Amino acid sequence: MIELHNVSKTYHARNVVTRVLDDVTIRFPRGKSVGILGWNGAGKSTLIRLLGGIEPPDSGTIKRNVKVSWPLGFSGGFQGSLTGRENARFIARIYGAPIQAFEQSAEEFAELGQYFDMPVKSYSSGMRSRLAFAVSLAADFECYLVDEITAVGDQRFKDKYRAAFVERKERASMIIVSHNVNTIKQDSDIAAVLRNGKLEMYEDVNDAIKVYQTDTR
Amino acid sequence: MSYTNVKQALVVQFRVIHALMLRETKTRYGRHKLGYLWALFEPVLQVMVFVVLFTMGGHKSISGMPLILFILTGVTPFLLFRNTMQQGMNAIDANRALLTFPQVKTFDLVVARALLEIATLIVVSVILLLAAASLDIPVKIENLLLVIMALMLLAATGFGLGMAFASLTPLFPSINQVMQAVLGRPLFFTSGLFFTAEVIPQPGRDLLLINPILHMIEMLRSAFFYEFHSDYARPGYAVTSALVCVCAGLVMHRALHNKVLKA
Repeated sequence: MIELHNVSKTYHARNVVTRVLDDVTIRFPRGKSVGILGWNGAGKSTLIRLLGGIEPPDSGTIKRNVKVSWPLGFSGGFQGSLTGRENARFIARIYGAPIQAFEQSAEEFAELGQYFDMPVKSYSSGMRSRLAFAVSLAADFECYLVDEITAVGDQRFKDKYRAAFVERKERASMIIVSHNVNTIKQDSDIAAVLRNGKLEMYEDVNDAIKVYQTDTR
Repeated sequence: MSYTNVKQALVVQFRVIHALMLRETKTRYGRHKLGYLWALFEPVLQVMVFVVLFTMGGHKSISGMPLILFILTGVTPFLLFRNTMQQGMNAIDANRALLTFPQVKTFDLVVARALLEIATLIVVSVILLLAAASLDIPVKIENLLLVIMALMLLAATGFGLGMAFASLTPLFPSINQVMQAVLGRPLFFTSGLFFTAEVIPQPGRDLLLINPILHMIEMLRSAFFYEFHSDYARPGYAVTSALVCVCAGLVMHRALHNKVLKA
């Protein structure tokens, strides 16, 4: 599904250079939920950006032969002066999805009412993420990238989102990064640990958690 | 890469550029009901200002060309060059957020904006020519093909420079202002918008003829008007300059686009 071959990547923040991946070769299996555990600063978000093709690796190759999502719930790709509907239509267009069906599905899920036809910059942050989740789910990806799901909105929306997420997990692959052991335990079939530039995969989620927790950094 | 891969990649790229153009149209003109009129506003204003100035100076025609058409064939082609460049050079920085979608490439951002600008100015030119014709000004184009060719050179030059600066701005944010200062006003006054090369005395003329945009506008007017033929336009120089700009843009984009993504 997604394969990394000898991938290296460093992350530069001001003067600090973090080696996120150091010559990593790994294969993410199709149809499974893969949890990736990493301490803060280990490079989880950079890894997600690499997997999503948003950033290129410094060296090595990444092969993707499925439709990979952008980080789930990420709302940075919206244009503030356009309405929710116009943003949804743009995304449908670049993914070659049927525009009407896509738009309708996003509208129903986001439950923004008349705000769906208002500029996104007038949204509260909760509304923005609701739109982002709705659009990500409408896009019907084969592989979802999930970066620390921070559930948003009221309890009802959380429940609805959770149900949609679980339903989607049945038919699509997921790659979930988190520093939270419970998140990974709940949603992953297998798990990997990201530390010191290495990414190690464990068939049993509990093994990964053990390694992660005994890691003294 | 097999044939189907290439085909698939092209389909995605066309899809993305099309979506970007629609989106750009919405953001730029869609806010007001008469938003599209803004596209006409700048060229019309500039044409009017210079027509009024020349009329006050007692000119009805310049080197045999009717005044309004003379100004029109200077201002709109120049805007075709300048707007394509300006829109292009801000394209990457302004749309950085869209790079979250992996199929959206920095290259597409520049191309989409350039195409929108070119399409807009073609429509604007046709409207202005029709308006001139309705004012009983005889609009007869001597050689449409050569006019289109000159317009393409101007658009290509703007696109090439736009692409080059778009690749540089994320690394050197101040380059934008510098280029606006160097290429904006000075070119506006030296590209023959309101003079022809023949009326400029030496050695000023030779100096001005370094500017390839002046050649392109002289070429365009020679092709447009039966009454005018420029002795100074050198098509070879104009074509070479346009090609150099396009190549420079593509090379810089290729060389810098990974850095752009990280900046």
